Amino acid sequence: MYKYVAKRLLYMIPVLLGVAFLVFAILSLTPGDPGSIILGITAKPEDIAALNAEFGYDKPFFIRFLNYIGDLVLHFDLGTSYQSRQPVIQDIMARFPNTFLLTLISMSAASVIGISLGILSAVKQYTALDQTLVVVALIFASIPGFWLGLMLMLLFSMKLGILPSYGAGSLKAFILPSVTVCMTSAAGLLRLTRSAMLETVRQEYIRTARAKGASQKRIIWKHALRNALLPVVTTLGTSFGASLGGAIIAETVFAMPGMGTLITTAIRQKDIPVVMGSTLFLAVLFSLIILIVDVMYAFIDPRIKAKYQNGGKRRE
Amino acid sequence: MKKRAMMLMAAMMAVVLVGCGGSGGQSSQGQADSGSGSSSDSGADAGAASKDTLTIAMDVDVDTLHPSDFSTTVEHTILSQLYDTLMFMNPDGAHDPEPRIAEDYEISEDGMDYTFHLRDDVTFHDGTKLTSADVKFSLELYMDSEYQGAQVIGLESVETPDDTTVICHLDAPYSPFLLGVTQVSIASKAYFEKSEDDFVNNPVGSGPYKYAGREKGSKVTLEAYDGYYRGEAAIKNVTFEVIPDQSTTAVALKTGEIDFASIESSTIAQLAGDDAIQVEEVGNSGFTYVSMNTEKAPFDDVKVRQAINYAVNRENVVAVCYDDEAEVNSNICSKDRFGYSDDQPQYTYDPDKAKELLKEAGITTPYDLGTILVAEKYSNIATVIQNDLKAVGLDVTIDVKEFNAYIDDLTSGNYDITALEMTLDGDSQQLEMAFTTDYIGTANNARYSDTEMDELFGQARTETDTDARAEIFDQILTKAQDEAIYAVLCNPLTLYAHSSSLECQEFPYEGIYSIYNFSWK
Repeated sequence: MYKYVAKRLLYMIPVLLGVAFLVFAILSLTPGDPGSIILGITAKPEDIAALNAEFGYDKPFFIRFLNYIGDLVLHFDLGTSYQSRQPVIQDIMARFPNTFLLTLISMSAASVIGISLGILSAVKQYTALDQTLVVVALIFASIPGFWLGLMLMLLFSMKLGILPSYGAGSLKAFILPSVTVCMTSAAGLLRLTRSAMLETVRQEYIRTARAKGASQKRIIWKHALRNALLPVVTTLGTSFGASLGGAIIAETVFAMPGMGTLITTAIRQKDIPVVMGSTLFLAVLFSLIILIVDVMYAFIDPRIKAKYQNGGKRRE
Repeated sequence: MKKRAMMLMAAMMAVVLVGCGGSGGQSSQGQADSGSGSSSDSGADAGAASKDTLTIAMDVDVDTLHPSDFSTTVEHTILSQLYDTLMFMNPDGAHDPEPRIAEDYEISEDGMDYTFHLRDDVTFHDGTKLTSADVKFSLELYMDSEYQGAQVIGLESVETPDDTTVICHLDAPYSPFLLGVTQVSIASKAYFEKSEDDFVNNPVGSGPYKYAGREKGSKVTLEAYDGYYRGEAAIKNVTFEVIPDQSTTAVALKTGEIDFASIESSTIAQLAGDDAIQVEEVGNSGFTYVSMNTEKAPFDDVKVRQAINYAVNRENVVAVCYDDEAEVNSNICSKDRFGYSDDQPQYTYDPDKAKELLKEAGITTPYDLGTILVAEKYSNIATVIQNDLKAVGLDVTIDVKEFNAYIDDLTSGNYDITALEMTLDGDSQQLEMAFTTDYIGTANNARYSDTEMDELFGQARTETDTDARAEIFDQILTKAQDEAIYAVLCNPLTLYAHSSSLECQEFPYEGIYSIYNFSWK
């Protein structure tokens, strides 16, 4: 197990280098240079050139890339933003806590709601309750986030006046954006859990369990759910990782400073250090989360655990 | 059983679709209606509770609060509260400069030396006295700045014979110098020398408000400076909050969470009918225009350019693209700007004349004019123009590009015809960027090159007599209109929405406001 984790951690190095190179290359290939984007169309060419030189943007692509990786590896330096001329890590640290909190609240709520209602829906298949849940889930999965967000804002901020319409100053401010993000994810998880459960209850081992006289409760929780959870955990892990990249729509609608708006703004302004710093930061987190998910498999499914433990031996 | 479920689902889906579509379509009215009832009381509550605080929405965060190395309007707005200038000059060209840190000024006969006499009771927010050394330091900071160096073009050296006198020596007479130099933020030399990092991140200014703190990505807070030489500001605490979305800004205005915001014309509909909110229209010299690449046929033919000028229905552009919040004007110089005169030719909507001119130019319609290249945010303008041109027999196809890619093509002349907005604010001399040979590759998008035009702008640059200078601009603008170098459409207004109980006084032209002039009723 430890060996497996160590191996996976080592695999992250080439993955991160690959991410770094791809993002750097794509950004460098896009039109425009930071100097003229910052100074605008009326600026003198010599001022633009001077600013680009100050950023080191006048050097060829590979030199810039190597410099960047060098600073990163040797000094753990994520670089300095072209726009704010301040360390990139400050930008990330100002926004990541908001994104993390938003993700934590919305994903926990989504998994509780989605998984429990999904089980309920599967257990009560073809009843009115099941049908209602499926349709409601479909509705929430299809509603565009910005619309839902605005509607929530109109109701709770303007009509009722009980929640702030924007910002990240208080925990209260997180409620509406969390609900916006949560609803869509919960709907997806409900549908996934339901179909995974329905798939599992048709398996032979469930019939066996039933035949040997296990109670319905035991069959659902012990036999069916554990097997049905695998795809659900996979999805939950990836969507948790992905939402750390920021919920751009919720962030924009509710004016919450998060990773999503940080990265999109930086891309538009061609602020390469900010884009690089944030993507690498997120890539590390994402890889770690996927690793945790993979390790969790072992605890959910003993078959996989067995594989990990034997895996090393068999090869020797 | 299964069939019933399917039907139920189909029915529910239909309801959802109708629901979404309906609400989406009517949302602007719906919001305006639902808001006027509830928000007026909540707005009043917020107003009553917070008589000396002010919350302002900004659409993007500030990247820096460096007094000279900034680039955005939001940064300029906040810096204007933090830092005072030598003088205040409304950039409409009709006002004399008002005293600020400098009580008065003299310009030497030859137009080479500008002398400013400073007040001796001005202090920085850390309590230290402002002297001529700080002014010299600030002017030099601007001279070396890639960002704002244009404010002090022509400045060669600064002399400080005593603590309250500053003499600016120019390398050649440059009449727009006064307007530029009066916009320089005066910063503390001693504070800069103590810590360059604090100078940027914890600024100590000379203006009516001092820096109180900042949360990256969300807010900047200011506090009234009690030692301000013109007296402490009426509004004590000011918070600028980042709200990128206009719909959210409108909601926050209605709930009273924010008191003041710069808005887009399309947001007015959401605010209409709410007595607690007042919308202000401020004139601006920025202009929306069609630029034709005069290096390419058929745009090298003056008749074709005139025809396009006649073919465009400017009233329609203003109605469709600006919700009527723009002033129709075919002159690149806005009506409130120095140099404008009603005697200069104006183009009006006249499709018949356009067709006639095209015939004279030897163009047989329908004619394929090529591609109208636009950035995404101007695609609606391109659509209107495409229709107008089609009506006179000119076909264009619209090509929409991402903004930076668009600017690349625009400045390198890799386009036929385009539509965009441009700001050449400050002195009318700035218009040279649109017309002179030196600016091909930057703001001279028509790639127009004409020695007479270059000379005229050269004369305007050194002429210090106001009447003579107005005469030169009259020649320039008449020539620009005669040759139809651009097809200018309108001057969009700068729009502000604020709580009705906030008194703002008059907004200066271009709209960089001073919160010092604001007060609660």
